[in-house]
Amino acid sequence: MKKEFSVVGKPVIRQDGIEKVTGKSKFADDLVFPDMLFGVMIRTDHTHAIVKSVDYSKLDTNKFVIVNADDIPGSKKVGAIVKDQPVFCNEKIVTPGDVVAMLVGEDLNELRKAAKSVKVNCEELPVLSDPLKALDENAMLIHPELGSNKIVHYPLRKGDVDKGFGESEYILEEEYSTPLIEHAYIEPECVTAFIEPNGGIKIIGSIQNPHTTRRVVASVLNYPLAKVRVVQAELGGSFGGKDDTMNILSARAAVAALKTGSPVKIKYGREESILESYKRHPYFMKYKVGFNSDGKIKAMKIDITADGGAYASLSPYVTWRSVVQATGPYEIENVHTDVTAVYTNNPYTGAMRGFGSPQPIFAQESIMDEIAIRLNKTPVEIRKINGFKSGSFTASGHKLRDHDVNLFSVLERASDESDFEAKWNENQNGKSFDLFKRFAEKSIFSSEELLVKDDEFCDENIWKNGIGLALSFRGCSLGAEGIDAAAAYFSLQTDGSAYLLSGLAENGQGLRTTFSIIAAEELGISVNDIYYLEQDTGIIADSGPTVASRSTLMGGGAVKNAAEQVRKRLEIIFREKFNLDEKEEIKFANHVVSDYLGKVKIPFKKLVTLASSKGVGLSSVGWYKGPDVYWEEKTGQGEAYFTYAYGCQVAEIKVNIITGEVYIDKITAVHDAGKIINLLGAEGQVYGGVTQGAGYGLWETVDKVEGKIRDLNFDQYLIPTCKDVGDIKPIFIEGEEKYGPWGAKSLGEPTLELGAAAIANAVRNAVGQRHRNLPINLEELILSRKLSPEDLKRGSAV
Amino acid sequence: MIHELKLAKPSSLDEVKRILSSENSKIIAGGTDIVPGFHIESVRFKNISSLIDINSIAELKEIKIIENEIQIGSAATFSSIVNSKIISENLPLLAKAASQIGSKQIRNRATIAGNFINNAPCADSIPPLLVYDAEILLESEKEKRRIPLAEFLVSSYKTKIQPNEILTKIIIPNRYMNFHGLFYKLGRRRGVAISRITFAVLVRLENEIVTDFKFASGAITPIGKRFHEIEKTIIGKRVNEIEVKLTSRNIGEEILNITGVRWSTTYKIPVLQQAVYQSIKKLLSGN
Repeated sequence: MKKEFSVVGKPVIRQDGIEKVTGKSKFADDLVFPDMLFGVMIRTDHTHAIVKSVDYSKLDTNKFVIVNADDIPGSKKVGAIVKDQPVFCNEKIVTPGDVVAMLVGEDLNELRKAAKSVKVNCEELPVLSDPLKALDENAMLIHPELGSNKIVHYPLRKGDVDKGFGESEYILEEEYSTPLIEHAYIEPECVTAFIEPNGGIKIIGSIQNPHTTRRVVASVLNYPLAKVRVVQAELGGSFGGKDDTMNILSARAAVAALKTGSPVKIKYGREESILESYKRHPYFMKYKVGFNSDGKIKAMKIDITADGGAYASLSPYVTWRSVVQATGPYEIENVHTDVTAVYTNNPYTGAMRGFGSPQPIFAQESIMDEIAIRLNKTPVEIRKINGFKSGSFTASGHKLRDHDVNLFSVLERASDESDFEAKWNENQNGKSFDLFKRFAEKSIFSSEELLVKDDEFCDENIWKNGIGLALSFRGCSLGAEGIDAAAAYFSLQTDGSAYLLSGLAENGQGLRTTFSIIAAEELGISVNDIYYLEQDTGIIADSGPTVASRSTLMGGGAVKNAAEQVRKRLEIIFREKFNLDEKEEIKFANHVVSDYLGKVKIPFKKLVTLASSKGVGLSSVGWYKGPDVYWEEKTGQGEAYFTYAYGCQVAEIKVNIITGEVYIDKITAVHDAGKIINLLGAEGQVYGGVTQGAGYGLWETVDKVEGKIRDLNFDQYLIPTCKDVGDIKPIFIEGEEKYGPWGAKSLGEPTLELGAAAIANAVRNAVGQRHRNLPINLEELILSRKLSPEDLKRGSAV
Repeated sequence: MIHELKLAKPSSLDEVKRILSSENSKIIAGGTDIVPGFHIESVRFKNISSLIDINSIAELKEIKIIENEIQIGSAATFSSIVNSKIISENLPLLAKAASQIGSKQIRNRATIAGNFINNAPCADSIPPLLVYDAEILLESEKEKRRIPLAEFLVSSYKTKIQPNEILTKIIIPNRYMNFHGLFYKLGRRRGVAISRITFAVLVRLENEIVTDFKFASGAITPIGKRFHEIEKTIIGKRVNEIEVKLTSRNIGEEILNITGVRWSTTYKIPVLQQAVYQSIKKLLSGN
């Protein structure tokens, strides 16, 4: 019997929406505390250097307090998996964002001036900036105590690739790369730490994962977990970026608060934020595919190097998702994948929306189109020949069952909706893009050679249309990364209103509203009856990090469980009152509780009052634990995730063949995210994810020279504006799913991971040329390479 | 961080001139260049100790036609230029350039003189003003001088303004009714884009004869510049006699001579020639 929903699946305006668009929300930097001091960082100009001494002789020590590693009572180094990142780098600098010490004082401007008067004397070390050289025998070790620059290596072995290639009629080998990417959350980092009356420390700030921050601060202070309380301020975006950086800033603020006895706030501007915060991993990917003329892929060999930068951060988890998903949603008999993350002196990389999937999807979906073109098939055909169906085995040997494997549904729907095959065939018809071919052949030209010859001037239409698609499967939630469970607190009041809070955090994704919908649906009340509380480690259980598109699935499951507990207690009272037996189904809808046929009913509020008068507990803590998953490290085999989401995006673009400009006319985004809880929120995820994916495809790259970032603000680091992306059409396919609230799965990251790949395929379709290195910016399109201002003056006219 | 400085907010132009004559002060209007420059501690603004805010002086914001000339107050914002009927009807290339500068928020504050007074190579207003033969009026307590914009712009970030002078007006002859032209801008994206290539072309066609032709570069040369020699090769010719490819290549060559080979030349110079070719071809076809 299909459940009829009263709120679930409807478009609901988010609870914090009006406050945010009218500027009323209070963010971390809006919070001011009595006697508050500020902390300002002391850095060096070096990328890799030994700190010899720090000269504070020009500093007015009556005015400023120096806080450094010596003030740390507990762990001086932190890290999610490898404890390799010092809170203060008093011994060695391994990347330009590193902080030697912090100055604390009353006036921010004076502090910034004073910080410049501090001289850090360093002995420079050679810089390792090329991740492909990190494992060379003579490579400089970033962390000598670890013995190697290897952060992690994941093998995956299935079948026998040599045999598979031997049986293949065709073999294709290609190399791809993706750039370093900034999260570009609108609110830069800010946190304040202060001592609580009970002797504990309280942290409030722009924190993505309050429980993780608590763990880090407790380890740095050598405090028991309960002595540290972390509260999340209203957050201005995160995209996975307010984890490690915020944990370390919180630790610095906490150490300073203990030293000075005053609240200490740390706030970053954009430049400092981009300088110190971690980024998305650049990937260097080699794909080799063997296939036959019928389109069937026989073998795939993949070798990926991920640049982890100076610290391990979440590299071991990010690259693990890559190894599970690197072959894409295709059933391949023989697979041999290696993914290695390495240390360099570059800015460190960690979690960012997508988390190890946008990179291999770009490579795998590019090569799928190349296979199709080689065999004279369409991109849809080649994907149908190889795509997952119910009962298919993934590369890690996981048999897909127990849920609707909707890969074909999303593919067909996206293709039909965009009239894909007709458009693709039309654009594909024999056009080549050779206007600038000779400029792609070498890099240095004489003036004479830079002049356009008569037969090179373009007399055709300078705009060429292209259409491309990308397809993915994505493991939902954490998978075999770690324990997967979440808590929620639901407290019904005697008048029928309610408090709600989960252990996962509102990072802008709209979780408060989604969770309120779930509780409202369960009890037949309205979303407006529910008041969502502030995220606070002091009042809600650790539910793991708010990552991996797991909020709705895991936190939503916990909310549903909490509301269900209260509902069951109310059902008992209802049955008692109307003498119904236990088998009778009770309905909660539209603020009325009734038996199934509606013969007896009572307003919800009255039932709550009645229950309360009988001493029934109206609050509950819900818990939701994901089913067990496992992973065999040596072979890369196992049921990596307990369920998967499927998505397909089609990009329709036009390319200006004389300038290399790409305009995105339309993106059709079809996602099986399971049951949609808030339609408006889900559409919002698609609009945002698609736009971010477009930025990855066409513009974004953090340029660096010897580890140093050149573009520390948004005048040079370009993200798409609303003028750069045309129509976005979200379409949801709701498959049956036994986990999560009513079968809701994941959506946040699937919306982002496909765009760049779809755009790259559309560019290929438009101009007949494959671009293997993101972003496909003006120069990449015209010259098939990136132009680098290294060693030349920048910002000048030409 | 904005360093400590003195800020005056005079209500009359005379007062501005008086302050300028007595102390070393810089003028601030929209502040969209100076304020971010302060924050990044730009060397261009580092030594400013005193600012004069001219936003309360109404006459500096006026856009009007006086006899045969269009006068634009130096503190007219780009939004007011975009919304001005005088500009859109008589100087469409300037309206077009103004509409693409920065974002709406920036256009609401940024002013026309502020755009080129620092002579940043990427100032979008320069190519249209150059093809319209704009002149500027500089005033000090003692004198007024009117000079062509082309003469005023000396080199990157350098103009002929004296420390005691204020640029009060941009003056443009109102005689472009029978011209058509275009302003070309290439940025890395469509919104809030810093120009990588800009130029303006203005043509008068009479009975298939080009009776006037003007071309000015923007963000491809260190300063915005007219190409008089190349213009002369076209003026007076019949449309079908004009070698557009050669002209485009000549413009490319001249620019290359000015700039030399830089990191971005391999992209910009060929692309510029193609864009110039498309633009001139389009204008000569009467579109």
